[in-house]
Amino acid sequence: MAEQKVPQKWGLVVDLDRCTGCNACIAACSMENNIPFVGEDDVAYGRGMYWLYNKREWVGEYPEVKPAFEPVMCQQCGNAPCEPVCPVFASVHSEEEQINLAVYNRCVGTRYCANNCPYHARQFNYFDYEMPEPMNSYLNPDVTVRRRGVMEKCTFCVQRIVRGRQKAAAEGREVQDGEIQPACVQACPAGALVFGDVSDPQSKASQAARDQRRYQLLEELGTLPRVTYLKGGGRYGS
Amino acid sequence: MAAKVVHLALFKEEQIDHAAEAIGRLHELGISDQDISVISGIPYSERILGRPMSWTNIGRIGLAGAVLGFLVAAFLNFGTPLLYPIRVAAMGLTPIPTAIVVTFELTMLGLLISTFIGVFVETISPSFGPKGYHPKISDGHIGILFSGPAQLDEKIHTSLSELGAELVHEVEEEKLWL
Amino acid sequence: MAAETELMQAAKPVEHAEEDPREHLMFDPRPREEMNRMIMEAMTTTTRRYWIWLIGLGLAVAVLLFGAWGNMILTGIGIAGLRRPVFWGVFIVTFVFWIGISHAGTFVSAILRVFKAEFRRPFTRAAELMTTFGLAAGALYPLIHLGRVWVFYWMIPYPNARWLWPNFRSPLVWDFLAITTYLLSSTIYLYLPLVPDLAMARDRTKGWRHTIYKILALGWRGTEAEWHRLRKAIGIFAFAIIPVMFSVHTIVSWDFAVGMVAGWHSTIFGPYFIVGAILSGVAAVVTILYVLRSTMKHFDYFIRVEHFDALGKLLLVFSMAWAYFFFNEYLVSWYGGDAAIKQVLTLHATGPAAWVWYTMLICNIAIPWLTLWNKTIRRTPWAMFIITLLINVGMYAERYTIIPLTLGHQRSPFDWGIYNPRLTEISIALGTLCLFMFLYLLASRLIPLVPVWEVQEGQMAHRLRKVGKARMPSVTELEE
Repeated sequence: MAEQKVPQKWGLVVDLDRCTGCNACIAACSMENNIPFVGEDDVAYGRGMYWLYNKREWVGEYPEVKPAFEPVMCQQCGNAPCEPVCPVFASVHSEEEQINLAVYNRCVGTRYCANNCPYHARQFNYFDYEMPEPMNSYLNPDVTVRRRGVMEKCTFCVQRIVRGRQKAAAEGREVQDGEIQPACVQACPAGALVFGDVSDPQSKASQAARDQRRYQLLEELGTLPRVTYLKGGGRYGS
Repeated sequence: MAAKVVHLALFKEEQIDHAAEAIGRLHELGISDQDISVISGIPYSERILGRPMSWTNIGRIGLAGAVLGFLVAAFLNFGTPLLYPIRVAAMGLTPIPTAIVVTFELTMLGLLISTFIGVFVETISPSFGPKGYHPKISDGHIGILFSGPAQLDEKIHTSLSELGAELVHEVEEEKLWL
Repeated sequence: MAAETELMQAAKPVEHAEEDPREHLMFDPRPREEMNRMIMEAMTTTTRRYWIWLIGLGLAVAVLLFGAWGNMILTGIGIAGLRRPVFWGVFIVTFVFWIGISHAGTFVSAILRVFKAEFRRPFTRAAELMTTFGLAAGALYPLIHLGRVWVFYWMIPYPNARWLWPNFRSPLVWDFLAITTYLLSSTIYLYLPLVPDLAMARDRTKGWRHTIYKILALGWRGTEAEWHRLRKAIGIFAFAIIPVMFSVHTIVSWDFAVGMVAGWHSTIFGPYFIVGAILSGVAAVVTILYVLRSTMKHFDYFIRVEHFDALGKLLLVFSMAWAYFFFNEYLVSWYGGDAAIKQVLTLHATGPAAWVWYTMLICNIAIPWLTLWNKTIRRTPWAMFIITLLINVGMYAERYTIIPLTLGHQRSPFDWGIYNPRLTEISIALGTLCLFMFLYLLASRLIPLVPVWEVQEGQMAHRLRKVGKARMPSVTELEE
């Protein structure tokens, strides 16, 4: 068995100049993580359960109006405001993966974490959502199905991270860069999402995160997010 | 020791001066403060009636409860995170500001609950002094329960009646609680 | 010369109308026997109207509160109107409202006692009951709003096989500790001065009432030791429960203030909430006193116009204090706040729910400031009833502004959302109001609502003393 090096610090880079707003990431995430379908009325009222949402802003004056897309998921903050406020430790910081964990079994549903998240990245299960037969046959066995009353959010597909690490350990090697990909990263047709170990300066994610176009959401709040956005305005370089 | 016979002298609520005078006369007749007990419908300071100050341990019990509450809070704040460390945000495991809040609440809880327990325990503990009760006490009267040697009975009767007391002879100890 | 005497004659000193001192309760003593009898009659008389109200309220509680809540437990929080990003709505607003009302009792019975404000004597118990029942209604809410209420006990620290403890760094756990402390202490603080009156009731009743009072009166005789012990305990409680009271509403305010929400993250929330709570609570005391005076037998002897007058003055002062803290928060945010908080303020004043904000300002500032300075209005009970009801409406609007409106309008316009309260939430809120009234109605016939021993003590301590040509009220401190 290879010597276990320091645990990886997982980070995500979103290149907004490549994002086309196709929402494939959202679809993939929903399939991977057993996200329930809440129905048209509830989505209209703001109860959509998607762990990833595409913030679409209209830029420019008519007739040169263009959409600007910004996929926002849980930023896995290093100084997460959602963590200290949970009364039962259902939102804790993982020492291993250094991301924010959602402990569904422990959540009592006070929803304080959701209020405190400045990115509004957390979702709440308002009902027990049914998956009528045979739709329940595509549920991912690696991920629990949450019942009503618990909070949920993007976990950087922690089931894939753990599986990747276990596979690498079983084969006696290190985890390769790019081997572990969350569902959204895997699905993006434009390659706008890059995932990797940002503590390794050579990984693709680290290199992308060092780009000049980088910014982080609500940086001034000091939440130390693990997600970096790259945005040059679409005309960068021309 | 033979059970002492207890008598009761009732004074109306306006007759505080007479009641104080009555206690003085009982002292003169040789009845000690231990054989006198005053019951009333509103609190009168012991100084008003010329009686020795009562004592209670409630202050000490309350303090002990506060200390206990403080210790429990110390355990919850510093013991539990060390027993099962869970990291949240960039906060330390045992931050002092949050500990202050919990410590304050539990200390006050300890103080107040133990004060009440003190009151309860002291109230149901047996008391010293002549026992006895009369429902007129809750109607605002001041009652002086006293027990003296039989030969003084007549003297006491005359001197107290002069002051306008309503005398009840041979008051029985009633079981007022369970 | 003649002109001077004429002027002097014309400038006669104004005749002071001799106010009949017996208008004041403390100067209108009746024999204790008679006061006891009045209170016992008030407690044991039940009219048909009483039973109709009691049963009606009981049904309302069963249906509106427990029915709706049970339905929500079975179906899910989704039947309430919560949504992203407004995850706290009417449930938490009503929770803060009830905790605020509960500050009434402690203010009257502890703070006024410590400051030796004699006018508090007849209504300390009525106010303390409000604290206990306000807390009973409010303490249901941390359970009601939970997503998984069947595992609520995980928030309670108890040793378990998994070594799991609640997170003592979370304001919700502080909430739990603070409300438990406050509920227990204020129930005990209600009970301690009640013991002598329970003894009086024990002496004057038979049957089931006599049994209950006998058990609760702990064999009270009124000995010096018993009084000394009681006074000492009440003294400790009065001093200790004041910081507890401040801490409870401060901790509730920290549920909001420690968060990163724009518009909540303000250091002034602690004192702001406390002053708001006292304003709301004292207003509720006046409302209840009006109802008691109008419906219970003989209560017009105990609750007089002077009490409304005194409480009205206090209300004016607290309304000004509330306005000070509100303006403090507003000015600082409006002047130098970041874009997010400025957006929130604009929303409050001009958004679709701006009427809530204006209701708050009108009811908490305009109405008290326009009316309570006037002695005649303060001494008119029905006017005070209306004014204080409106003050509480204003305070509810304040909490509504702070919680759902602010949550719905945070840093990212894409995430803004409007919150619509639904029937379940409104039903449960009304249900808690009915619970409060139901418990109060029950208590009014089970325990004496006026602490007669304290009233008699006060009456014995008040005398009219001749100073010069006038007779001035003077108070003897019998407790020394």
